Amino acid sequence: MMKSAFRTALVLTTTVCHRSLNPNPITLLSLRTATASPPPNSTTVTCRKIHCNSFSSSMAGGDSSPTVAAVEKQFDEFRNRLEESGSLRDRIRAVATEIESTTRMMYSSLLLVHQSRPIPEVLENAKTQIDVLKQLFSSLAEIVRERPGQYYRYHGDWRTETQQVVSLLAFMHWLETGSLLIHTEVEEKLGLNASEFGLDVEDYLIGICFMSNELPRYVVNQVTAGDYDCPRKVLKFLTDLHASFRLLNLRNDFLRKKFDGMKYDLRRVEEVYYDVKIRGLASNKGESKEDQTIEES
Amino acid sequence: MAERADAGPNEAGSVVVATTSVTILASNRQMLYSSASLHRHFYLMAPKPQLIRRLADSTMQGTTKKSRLIATASASPSSSMKDYFSKYAEYLNQFNDKRERVVKASRDITINSKKVIFQVHRISKNNKDEVLERAEKDLLAVRDQHIARLVNELQGTDFWKLRRAYSPGVQEYVEAATLCKFCTSGTLLNLEEINSMLLPLSDASLEPLQINILDYILGLADLTGELMRLAIGRISDGELEYAERICRFVREIYRELTLVAPKMDDTSDMKQKMDTMLQSVMKIENACYSVHFPCEIYLLKETTIEDHKTLLHEHVVCISNGKVMYP
Repeated sequence: MMKSAFRTALVLTTTVCHRSLNPNPITLLSLRTATASPPPNSTTVTCRKIHCNSFSSSMAGGDSSPTVAAVEKQFDEFRNRLEESGSLRDRIRAVATEIESTTRMMYSSLLLVHQSRPIPEVLENAKTQIDVLKQLFSSLAEIVRERPGQYYRYHGDWRTETQQVVSLLAFMHWLETGSLLIHTEVEEKLGLNASEFGLDVEDYLIGICFMSNELPRYVVNQVTAGDYDCPRKVLKFLTDLHASFRLLNLRNDFLRKKFDGMKYDLRRVEEVYYDVKIRGLASNKGESKEDQTIEES
Repeated sequence: MAERADAGPNEAGSVVVATTSVTILASNRQMLYSSASLHRHFYLMAPKPQLIRRLADSTMQGTTKKSRLIATASASPSSSMKDYFSKYAEYLNQFNDKRERVVKASRDITINSKKVIFQVHRISKNNKDEVLERAEKDLLAVRDQHIARLVNELQGTDFWKLRRAYSPGVQEYVEAATLCKFCTSGTLLNLEEINSMLLPLSDASLEPLQINILDYILGLADLTGELMRLAIGRISDGELEYAERICRFVREIYRELTLVAPKMDDTSDMKQKMDTMLQSVMKIENACYSVHFPCEIYLLKETTIEDHKTLLHEHVVCISNGKVMYP
């Protein structure tokens, strides 16, 4: 409908333009009635097009074509560069998706700790994925290396996946050693080279917050399985972690939100610890000392 | 219930919550303080960004230092955790301070570029050279005072990491610079040209600040809004030729941007700008159209006066009302 209106309008305008000094006023009249009848939306479009046509022909002499060519040249270049950037991004996304699915495999094998499988066995399974991750991160680094200094232009494309990786690695490390996996250790595990493709500190911290979310569930299931010393250990670790996080001056961003959530993990673990202790199930080993440190912080 | 009260852990929980809010207050206060003392810091602490880089290196790269750190802190695991976190805290503090300073510089660029744009809008039929000369002078001042500050804050690093902090200012500057250029020469100021003007601001040893394609394009998209105002102003001043020149220019930019827009990094922002842009283009076109048409028909009047009295009658009514709009 609109197309045909436009076509008639075009024909009409060309007529007008050709006989610029002596046009057929009847055509003009019919043009006016024609543009008046369709719904308002298409009217504006038609008017605009007519206007375009009559203008470009009448102004053809005044148009300085070299500048138009220069403008076009610049935008062609922009288009090329943005297209290159887009295809780079696609490649990054492809690797990030692979990282995501590897992380998922790792997570699913780690979930067995909730079914009280022996930790060494669970860890061994999960650890097989670390080499895969290492490889994926090295190909990611290779892609980003093509654009020196633009790490943070594409950072958003692998951020969430990396945070997930950090959280799993930290959880595994904690299961193994009971201590926190620090920033440089994550880089080491993933084979990252901080000078060209490092791990962003905020991503690391967010990953650690994700790990903290995993702990209450672990504690609950361990207690159910009869490990009554677990809540004490986890509570100690989480209290330290929370106290350490409080050293950071955070902005109102995602990390802040995740950190604010950490206190609920802490509270849940405290509740479990309380339940175990009140029933006299907790072992007495080193307990009074731990209590003291908890109260101090 | 009584047992619960002296059991301890629950109290510890509430203590945790309370202290969290205290930390928040403290950090707020610190932010206030740091922005208040910003000016003082700014000139005294020029080498600060290097410090940040060094610090980032030490937190990120320190695999060799790590063993030493662990050795010294191994006495108590919780204190070692705090050691690491105070490193992260230091890094975050430095970086957030830098971001704040960049945001502030960006805001000043925006305000002063806006002033340049307003200066251009003061144009009228007879004062063009004078007004534009002033605008160009102001634009140079924006570059030398405020963009130079941004360059100084960035110190050749974090161009992409802090892009969101300085992008609004840079866009506004692009808008002001391209507007001035169009008014003086009728052409589009290229990204290359703007960037070459920014080169002298940077220290030769550092990577210079160069406006990226995205900010340039976003700035151009805003330019059409200003050109629309300018065109309407010119029309009401009777400078139709000028308005038509704007119209052609804007139309060309819109046409070029339609091809580029879907390839931008953050398309949603650009999509919205494209819509506004089309609105502006159409406003200019309609304004040109409404003054263009009666004139043409007015010419017709003389050649066809005998034959088409009805048509003529309508036009005479239109013109005698003093309206430029097509009835």
